[in-house]
Amino acid sequence: MTTAVTGPVVTYGGRRPHALALVRTGLSEIWSRRRLARYLIAAELHKKGSDTLLGNVWWIMDPLLQMGVYVLFVSLVVGRAGTTADYPLFVFAAILPWKWFSSAVNDAILSVVARERIIKQVHFPKIILPVTATVSGVVNFAFGLVPLLLLMIAFYRERIAWTLVLIPLIAVVQLVFTLGLAIVLAAINVFYRDVGNVARHVLRLWFYLSPALYSAEQVSKLAGDLPWVATVFGLNPFSVLFQAYQAVIYHGTQPAWGALGILLVASLGLLVACMYVFQRVERAFAKVL
Amino acid sequence: MDDYSPPVDAPGGIAAPARPAHVRSGRATDLAIDAHGIGVRYNLRFTKKTTVRQSFAHLLRRREGPQHFWALRGVTFQVEHGESLAVIGPNGAGKSTLLQVLAGIIEPSEGQVEIRGHVSSLLTLGAGFDAELSGVDNILLAGAFMGIPDREMRRRLPEIVEFADIGAFIDAPLKTYSSGMRARLGFSIATAVDPDVLLVDEVLSTGDQAFRDKSRRRIEELIQAAKGIVLVTHDMGWVTTFCNRALLLERGQIIAEGDPAEVVAVHTDHMEQVRIEKEAEAARLRLQGVL
Repeated sequence: MTTAVTGPVVTYGGRRPHALALVRTGLSEIWSRRRLARYLIAAELHKKGSDTLLGNVWWIMDPLLQMGVYVLFVSLVVGRAGTTADYPLFVFAAILPWKWFSSAVNDAILSVVARERIIKQVHFPKIILPVTATVSGVVNFAFGLVPLLLLMIAFYRERIAWTLVLIPLIAVVQLVFTLGLAIVLAAINVFYRDVGNVARHVLRLWFYLSPALYSAEQVSKLAGDLPWVATVFGLNPFSVLFQAYQAVIYHGTQPAWGALGILLVASLGLLVACMYVFQRVERAFAKVL
Repeated sequence: MDDYSPPVDAPGGIAAPARPAHVRSGRATDLAIDAHGIGVRYNLRFTKKTTVRQSFAHLLRRREGPQHFWALRGVTFQVEHGESLAVIGPNGAGKSTLLQVLAGIIEPSEGQVEIRGHVSSLLTLGAGFDAELSGVDNILLAGAFMGIPDREMRRRLPEIVEFADIGAFIDAPLKTYSSGMRARLGFSIATAVDPDVLLVDEVLSTGDQAFRDKSRRRIEELIQAAKGIVLVTHDMGWVTTFCNRALLLERGQIIAEGDPAEVVAVHTDHMEQVRIEKEAEAARLRLQGVL
């Protein structure tokens, strides 16, 4: 026996691992490359901040300006803002998580194809890419809480309640749900480059079909004697999430824990399935890109 | 896969030895790379930048033409530690695909490859660079992509910066670098990692003359440090100077393997043949144009 060989022995090719093993590999790869994930997130934030004149100030300004647009739109065009008290806060409670979700999905879709060159040059777990794209949105979301608090302190002091501390719990459910979607869409986009275009429109439609600018009660009232409408409406994950955010921010009440729990379990299932799909097609990325 | 035999219809050249050097020495553990019947199949339905519309079009024309092609087929070879193998061949022969398989970037569709030791690929330099980040950040990011522990990367940082010779620019964003500086940085990152197996693809002629000499010395050092090296190049001077074995790939198959000078001769021969055929074809077309 000679001792010339140091380091690991790696074998490529051979039999395919089964489904659960693939998911487990994915998880351990993310964990073992957390340093890479951290660098990628830092790079992402650095770029988003330093590219613009106002830098990080935009993270705070953005949701405020968007809220202004929606409030103007609804009160001038639809003329319904009067029916909901403190409407700007109501809208803001949904805009904040939605901005995180939509930009995370959009970033994640491009995350793999944007790294085309390094994917063809270096062997690393590609699943890191959509995961970091999603997770780096958490920082933006956290920054968005600053204008939320400012808004509440300035105009809606009577609505400040202890339930605000529940926001991170709802955010965890949203993160799990977003991760699943982000991972699978990033993989599909490698094979079909129009996922980004489709997603943009689907996301817009999704936002308007979710109780962000209107409340869920208004929907069930409108649905009247068609109870299935409200049921279908309630199956939308963002119906659950927006109502939860509105509960803790706007109403100062506890969210519907049951619905959130179901959504969390379903999202975990979705995440595992999406990780499986990603890990399964990952080996083809370098060939297709 | 033990019954694999090299392509019999290899046009001319030296027959590839069925069992290579390590069997003679009887020390299989000395192998840095053990590739066995590697085949890489590309699916033509998913080539570059497909959209759903194109896929439907493909679906309709399903039975037209081949659905896939083999970029590599039945490639078997071994590289011992301390050996340096040159892979040569015409464009599109599968040289880069082979390196990608060795680097673990592409999973072989058939066959197996076993690699002992840490692999570093000098494929194309600076692939993972981020123009917005500083040189230091890029070094750390590249290390993270390659899976090198952060502590080790930070320890090697001065050495890398030293070798790349980019001075105060190391803290400036990469977008302010000249292409030569980028190439130098890429080279020093890839070679500073002290790999057991180094994969090099046509990068040796980057930068100015001074850096070329320096990188040449660095490669020499790496070879002398008894690391396994696989070098893909069009520079036949490199093949004969630095490699103790060469492998000629044509259309995804090993055509010849053995002494660098001999394999290079076969390759030059084939290239000359192709050139003559092309010229004859061109002449024929010209003639047709006249008539």
